[in-house]
Amino acid sequence: MPIYLYIDRGTFVHRLHPTVKVFSLFVMFWSVYWVDNPIALLIPIGLIMLWIAQLTDSWPNFYRLRWLFVILIFTTTLMWMVFYQRGTPIFTLTLFHLAPHSLRLPLGSYSRTLHWGGHPVALVVTWLSIKFGIGRGIKLAELLAASVLFLSTTKIEEFTYGLQRMRVPYRVSFAISLSFRLVPLFIDSAVTIVDAQRLRGYDFNQGGPLERVRRYVPVVIPVFMGALRKANNMAMALEARGFGFSHEPTTFIEYPVTAADVMAFAFLIGLGALYFMLYWTGLGGIGPVK
Amino acid sequence: MKTETQIVSVNPVAHAVSVEGVTFTYHGADSPALRAVSFTHNAGEMIGVMGASGAGKSTLAKCLNRIVPEFEDGDFHGAIRIAGESIEVLRVCDVAPKVGMVFQDFESQLFSTNVAHEVAFAMEQVGMDRAEMDRRILPALEAVGLRGFEHRDPMSLSGGEKQRLAIASVLALRPSLIVLDEPTTDLDPEGRAEVFELIKKLRGQGLSLIVIEHESEELRAADRIIVLREGEIAADGPPAEVFARTELLTACGVRPPGLGHAFEMLGIDAQPKNVEQAYDATVRSFPGVTGTTYDSIARSHVSEQTEPTGNAIAGAAFIGIENLSFSYAGGPRVLDSIDLKVEAGEFMAIVGQNGSGKTTLAKHIVGLLEPATGRVTIDGKDRAQMRPAETAREVAYVFQNPDHQIFAATVEEEVAFGPRNFGLPDDEIRHRCDEALEAVGLQNERQSDPFLLSKGERQRLAVASVLVLRPRMLILDEPTTGLDHREQLRMMALVRDLNRAGIAIVIITHTPWLVAEYARRVVLMRKGAKIFDGSVREFFMQDELLRSSSFRAPEITELSRRFGTLALTTDEFVAWVKGRA
Repeated sequence: MPIYLYIDRGTFVHRLHPTVKVFSLFVMFWSVYWVDNPIALLIPIGLIMLWIAQLTDSWPNFYRLRWLFVILIFTTTLMWMVFYQRGTPIFTLTLFHLAPHSLRLPLGSYSRTLHWGGHPVALVVTWLSIKFGIGRGIKLAELLAASVLFLSTTKIEEFTYGLQRMRVPYRVSFAISLSFRLVPLFIDSAVTIVDAQRLRGYDFNQGGPLERVRRYVPVVIPVFMGALRKANNMAMALEARGFGFSHEPTTFIEYPVTAADVMAFAFLIGLGALYFMLYWTGLGGIGPVK
Repeated sequence: MKTETQIVSVNPVAHAVSVEGVTFTYHGADSPALRAVSFTHNAGEMIGVMGASGAGKSTLAKCLNRIVPEFEDGDFHGAIRIAGESIEVLRVCDVAPKVGMVFQDFESQLFSTNVAHEVAFAMEQVGMDRAEMDRRILPALEAVGLRGFEHRDPMSLSGGEKQRLAIASVLALRPSLIVLDEPTTDLDPEGRAEVFELIKKLRGQGLSLIVIEHESEELRAADRIIVLREGEIAADGPPAEVFARTELLTACGVRPPGLGHAFEMLGIDAQPKNVEQAYDATVRSFPGVTGTTYDSIARSHVSEQTEPTGNAIAGAAFIGIENLSFSYAGGPRVLDSIDLKVEAGEFMAIVGQNGSGKTTLAKHIVGLLEPATGRVTIDGKDRAQMRPAETAREVAYVFQNPDHQIFAATVEEEVAFGPRNFGLPDDEIRHRCDEALEAVGLQNERQSDPFLLSKGERQRLAVASVLVLRPRMLILDEPTTGLDHREQLRMMALVRDLNRAGIAIVIITHTPWLVAEYARRVVLMRKGAKIFDGSVREFFMQDELLRSSSFRAPEITELSRRFGTLALTTDEFVAWVKGRA
């Protein structure tokens, strides 16, 4: 199974100039950031993403990450649905009544008494919180989807080049793009380590949520040590290949700017502007808070 | 196909490299890793560097391109000159165009998503213009036999191809010297053969090479061999001269070439370079050894070996595998209708090229993978019905890389981790830890930090940490990878002792001599299918099978075959010759 997300295809998205690709990622993030309304999150940006996924044949990557998408959408939607608590309640579940408490802070002339409690603690679900929760779920899924589409269509070298053209120093842009290459290697190593500890009778599923997190120590330490070793080996290999010799390395691959790049760039500017306008006019919000 | 001119066009301008009184002590170390090491590497020469782990081989290699002391903190004395010019004031990246370095970990030295771009990477770093890069890429790929792979993703290449790609990317810079630090340690026999074939070819082109390697057979083609011991040069001379000093080699933790060792035991004064020369020299010294018919002797050996041997309990199948098939999601079949029985107390080797399904098969036995079809039984019980912890008490699995499980602060805690997971009482845990640490020879390292142990010790600690569960079978995945000869022998002596104590052993390995000397049964895998299952002697008699699987018999076995017999070890061959003399 491939451990990287890049899918080698000859579509026009794959052929776009690296700077346009990096810019498109930025515009996707920008656009999604400004709006909360589920409709605005789906049309047009959600549809554009679906179209790109279809065009670039990126579905296998979405399939690989399907559970991440499901968990992200489900937990985010549910969490915000319950905690947003604005608008007219359509469902209320009182959990307990918090008794009144006070605490005096003896700070001389600045002494203060803090008061809290004295009210019921309840789960309140409103139409507004449902809308907001669904919007948040879609928003996070779209941020992830934009990253998946970017990595499915962009080589590491293009990523580095694109960042460089956006005035990010070479060392920084190389490090950022390299980290994308390393993450799958570390995940691969973590899976092997989990197997190794399971074979020593270790049960990762014991205890409550905190205990379960703590039980990953026998995985985290070997992964961390392996990552340090790998990073050290890579750093040595990089310098041994002349990394650092020049502040402005040359590039082997030519990236000519084509008409498609100019059109894509103009389209992205328009998309970014549209979403800012949706925010500015309030159309991208979830409606008046009552 | 390529032309000679194209290969020659990547040849560097070779310069002499001199190492003058180099001493280096790592920060915090008690003693120097290198002590006043001096030698001159003449232009176009190939030097093989050997020695035990910790002898200073990699430190020496890293000195040649300034990784030591630029990367590794410590105290450096001495000088290194390339074409008479000191490199003392240069950074590692400044030395890159002069000294190319190929590392053991091939995954850590590939940075691109395309083979051609990988070759261009170093040239980009030194600011070469695009036209010049274009001129150099194809000849470099041609030289390593990867022409036509330009658009492939390096991660999709085999281990041997990845390492050849790393060599191509170094060649493209046309350095004065190329240093290869154990370039084949992580490769299967096919990958090893590819890389050493390439090294021979590059040497024929007049490149200056320094090759660090554990296997002495692979360095016979070198001009000189340098043997390091505790940071000092213990021997420096032509291979024939150095390899004749078997006592010194053994004392330095280096495995003497099997043929040379046999000749020394037989009192034959010669250092054969290959099996043909060894055959001629043996016939000259012992004319009586010829005239034996191949079939009679080989068959007599086979009949001896097919009888139950060691601790195998005939008929008592401990592991049963029936019609096992498996594919990873969306991928091709990795295992195809495997039937296999492993008896209690057996010593079996599973061999085959990378990707042939060896590790996948082992993972089914321990329950890390579930079969798509078929089933696995352990002592008659369906493994699918057993919890992983239950399986762990019956069959233990030692991963290739011990660092995939070590996490505790002390050796003792690491070993105690398993029994604690089973909720054993403290007294019992202490008793079992003592027993396991004693078995692997780490009883004096109880309070040591596992991360500070040598690779060999960490490997033995990994064995102890599963042995403590008192399994009835131990599966070891490449247990000797990355270990020097002394550590390999120690590891295998431990495994043999465990087998003698009644534990069934399954080793997954690429090392022919290890199969010949230790295993009693061999299973050969190819493309997910079991294509051979029989005794070690039968296995090494299957010339066609061995050739098609890129698995070579040890040289001593090949030599014995020339005489019509089949010896698995040097001792066995020597005894046979003396018996015929």
